[in-house]
Amino acid sequence: MTAAFNIGLQRERTGLAWNRTGLAMLVNALLVLRAGALADHLPVIALGFLLLAASAAAIACGAWRAHHLARGGEHTTPWSLILATVAGVWVACAAGAVAVLIDK
Amino acid sequence: MARQRRDPAWRQGGQEPDYRFTLANERTFLAWVRTSLALLAGGVLLDQFATRLEPREVILGLAIGLAVLSSILCAMAYVRWKANEIAMRHAQPLPTTLTIPMLASIAMLLAAIIAAIELVR
Repeated sequence: MTAAFNIGLQRERTGLAWNRTGLAMLVNALLVLRAGALADHLPVIALGFLLLAASAAAIACGAWRAHHLARGGEHTTPWSLILATVAGVWVACAAGAVAVLIDK
Repeated sequence: MARQRRDPAWRQGGQEPDYRFTLANERTFLAWVRTSLALLAGGVLLDQFATRLEPREVILGLAIGLAVLSSILCAMAYVRWKANEIAMRHAQPLPTTLTIPMLASIAMLLAAIIAAIELVR
C-alpha cells in the first residue's frame, strides 16, 4: 500500500469518526428532547436542542476535518477541539440525568 | 510545523508524531466518547422505554449511575489521549490502562442487574 493511498484512508476514517460521534450525540439529543416534550418541561427541551446543536457541530467537524486534511492541512488535532468534545459529553450527561429525574 | 499559540507546554515538547499516530489517537479518543454516549443513551432508554421493569428506583439509579459513568469515561478518554500524545512525542511506549477490562466488567454487571430485575418480577 503506497503512502499516498494510506493517508487518504486515514483522513477518511478520521472524518467518519467525527461523523459517528455526532450521530451518537444525536441519539442522546433526541432522547432528551423526547423526555422534555413528554413532560412538557421547557428547560429540558432547551437542553435537547442544545445537544442537537452539539451533534450538528460534531458532524460538521467531521466534514471540515476530512476536507482540511485532504487539502494537505496540518494533521495535529486541535487541543480546543478535544476539550470542546469533552465539554459536550459532560453537558449530555447532565442533560440525560435531568431528563431521567424530572416528573413524568 | 506551525504550532497553535495556545497549545499547552506538554503539546510542544518532543517531536511531532507521525501523522498516522496522531489521527489514530484522535480516532481512539472519539471511540471512547462514543462509548460514553452509548452508555448514557442506554440509561435514558432504560428509563423511558423499559416501563414495565420494577422497582423504578433501581431503574432510576441505573440511569443516573450510567450518566455518571459516562462522564467518568469521557474524562478518562481525555487523560488517555493526552498520555498517548506525550508518549508519541517522546518515542515512549504507549501507557497501559485498565479502562477496557473495567468497561467490560461494568457492562456485564449492568446486564446481570437487568436480568436479575426481570427474574425477580
